[in-house]
Amino acid sequence: MLPIVGYTNKLTAEPGETVDVMVSSFGAKTYSADLRQIIQGDTNPEGPGYKDHLITLDLGGTRTAISKPFKPGSCVIVPGLGALPAIQDFTLAAVVRPTLLDGRRRSIVALPGLAEIAIDGDGHLTGQAGDTALVSSVKLSTKHWHVVSLSYDARRELLSLAIARDRDEASTPPRAHIVSTKAVLAARVPSECIIAATRGADGELTAFLDGKVDRPALFDTCLEPDTIRTLLTDFALLRRQRSLLAAWDFSRRMTSRTICDISPFQMHGHIHNAPARAMTGWLWKGQELDWKLRPDLYSAIHFHATDMYDAGWDVDFTLTIPSDLKSGVYAVRLVPDGDEDSAYFCVFAVRPPRDRPSGNTVAFLFPTCSYMAYANHRLGMDVPGTEIGMGRAVELDRHHMFLQNNPGIGFSVYETHDDESGVFHTSRLRPIVDMQPKVKSFLGGFGSNIWQFNADTHILGWLDAIGQNHDVITDEDMHADGLTLLQRYNVVITGTHPEYYTRNMIEALQGFTDRGGRLMYLGGNGFYWVVSFNEDMPGIMECRRSEAGIRPWEPGHGQFYHGFTGEYGGLWRRNDHPPNHLCGVGMTSQGFDVSEPYVLSDNATDPRAAFIFDGISGPGIGNFGLAGGGAAGLEVDRADPAQGTPDHALVLAFSVRHTDIYLMTPEDLLDPTPDWSGTQADIIRADLTFFETEGGGAVFSTGSIAWAGAMAWNNYDNEVARMTHNVLRRFNEETPFDFPGGQGW
Amino acid sequence: MARYQITEEDFAFAREFMETPIGYHSPGLQRVLNRMRGADWTRKYVLVIEERYRLWRLAQLPVGRGAQVEIIEGVVYTDLVEAERDIFRRRWKDLTGQDLDTALPQTT
Repeated sequence: MLPIVGYTNKLTAEPGETVDVMVSSFGAKTYSADLRQIIQGDTNPEGPGYKDHLITLDLGGTRTAISKPFKPGSCVIVPGLGALPAIQDFTLAAVVRPTLLDGRRRSIVALPGLAEIAIDGDGHLTGQAGDTALVSSVKLSTKHWHVVSLSYDARRELLSLAIARDRDEASTPPRAHIVSTKAVLAARVPSECIIAATRGADGELTAFLDGKVDRPALFDTCLEPDTIRTLLTDFALLRRQRSLLAAWDFSRRMTSRTICDISPFQMHGHIHNAPARAMTGWLWKGQELDWKLRPDLYSAIHFHATDMYDAGWDVDFTLTIPSDLKSGVYAVRLVPDGDEDSAYFCVFAVRPPRDRPSGNTVAFLFPTCSYMAYANHRLGMDVPGTEIGMGRAVELDRHHMFLQNNPGIGFSVYETHDDESGVFHTSRLRPIVDMQPKVKSFLGGFGSNIWQFNADTHILGWLDAIGQNHDVITDEDMHADGLTLLQRYNVVITGTHPEYYTRNMIEALQGFTDRGGRLMYLGGNGFYWVVSFNEDMPGIMECRRSEAGIRPWEPGHGQFYHGFTGEYGGLWRRNDHPPNHLCGVGMTSQGFDVSEPYVLSDNATDPRAAFIFDGISGPGIGNFGLAGGGAAGLEVDRADPAQGTPDHALVLAFSVRHTDIYLMTPEDLLDPTPDWSGTQADIIRADLTFFETEGGGAVFSTGSIAWAGAMAWNNYDNEVARMTHNVLRRFNEETPFDFPGGQGW
Repeated sequence: MARYQITEEDFAFAREFMETPIGYHSPGLQRVLNRMRGADWTRKYVLVIEERYRLWRLAQLPVGRGAQVEIIEGVVYTDLVEAERDIFRRRWKDLTGQDLDTALPQTT
């Protein structure tokens, strides 16, 4: 377990910038902090050995460790209703489709302390006003939309709860079921409206809904259910009603946190914990698939009790990055109660100054988007098939045990929510417990079994071992600064699995190689999924896994366009930026058991590639490594002209077999037959690929996540590390590469 | 529920596994492993790391997210390959009722 965890408010900072550190105790009484540069995080005894550098910086000595909880659950909060006149007669209404009914009480819409429509533990609709409660005989269904309302008529002293289920398959119109009771309610002024949750007696948000809510509204009169239905179907008609106090149209400003009230009172609110917006609403019947073209049909928000954006912990301390600290990967190390073995690492990058180049001509591209995509992933715990993909039993490290005991920390985009809908959002404003050195994973292959950040430290350790000066820049830096940042470098080196890319990022990197930059793609399954940032919510990222790709869930019909940007979600391959354009190869297969060597092709003797093979002879290379025992494995990419691999690209070497755990990607397996496996199909391979660009640039791609694990073998003294160094040495020379323009493929 | 049921017909694949627990497997053994490692478990065998790369405890992982991982007391491994063999034996017993080590020598 982890007695202490924490996070920083940013994953990239320049010298002189401040970084806030948020810490919570999960058993620790005290902690001390120091700053360390992370060099090599793999603690496998077969590897080069763990290495970090203590940075001399006073972070304030021993502190008391304070327990701070995770508070997941999304909702809409509309403050400021106190400006309304006191409400006597009223109607509170909404359209709702729950997606999980599991015995927990769920709130649909609440005016805390005044009125609430909710779902009880048995799935019945309930209404509460003052001390009067109503329970409908009708249960809600996860398969249908329901128009629900709670109305009070003071003259008749009658409180009524109504529900009408839309049954698309039925030939009869929806019919409201109404339950009423006598009640005498005093006129009250609500303080706030909460949608998809309410407040408990302690003032904390509670009773989160798993489900969709559309067009909640509040009136100062008692309306009949049929009238409510008529009004809710037509916002133009609705907003002119003199009785209308508020009606929230979720289809407005969908890319932001803001919730818009279309009534003249304009009581706008905001979302809490980033529920999914731009979701098909009550009136969506497949008329349009792109919310940008018919936003009115995307007027629902899908809420989850498991949504998490910002953990919101109080700041424990703030450090200022020393002005002379060189760019690199660093961590605030939190040592609980003097126990260094239980230390927690809050990892972030120190980028070069924004206003001036560092002078380094090599940059390691720290793939924060991919770290965020996998942040706190639970594949080995939540997905039984992970063991099949690993070819051996799941190992649970301490941080996995912590995740199992603390699901409130929020999920990665590999998980589903409790209602089995996909997790679209992942945030860095919370601890990311698998983004630490030393930690083991599920997918790293037999051997070190490390993944993403810790696996990337094999590359950081290699850069240290060869004494290569370099900057570390992050995905967020590249997204924000584009080519103005990349143009400082001769060479950009990727991590082992740079899978998630925003449009800014992929276009910046493409522009870099087009204009003479040199890209060393030392990984596999790179540049695969489209992701988006949100301009109104720093630190969160969206991924909607549309149509194809190896994926744990689908976004749901009609919900393939990102809510944050309106971009079509899914694979870059389907969005005119196939990875093959950028790096010559694209994802072809995966397996997480053992890896293989490459066998040199005839292209290895091409004079264009002579610099790569200096001191290296075949016929095989990389029959060793910390990631499955070979240089080619885990996730592998193939060169493919049909997917955009340049005609002149040279496939220098390729793997010739993999285990039958390696299967074909869905985007290529259009007609499943049982011959698409690693021992049978030669399309399942890693292609070591090199090509020049017309602008004098060049690209070297390994097409394998396991490559770096082979680099680190024998303390970085091996042919894979040597070849990588050969490439780096030539790539870092100013001399432009000649563009062959021929048919090398 | 998985369609494939492990029977005495699979003894040859059990021998193959004991020979090479991790790596290339015949299609028949892969099918046995798919049955053993798939979703049909309310409690799935996992290895809880006691000391990274040195010591593991056998445990069972309940299906429910957030449920407690149940340590099987007294079962520790210092070698992952041996752990695989032991888990295979346990699952064989769970699925067939047979003690694999007892059953295997009686057939050829």
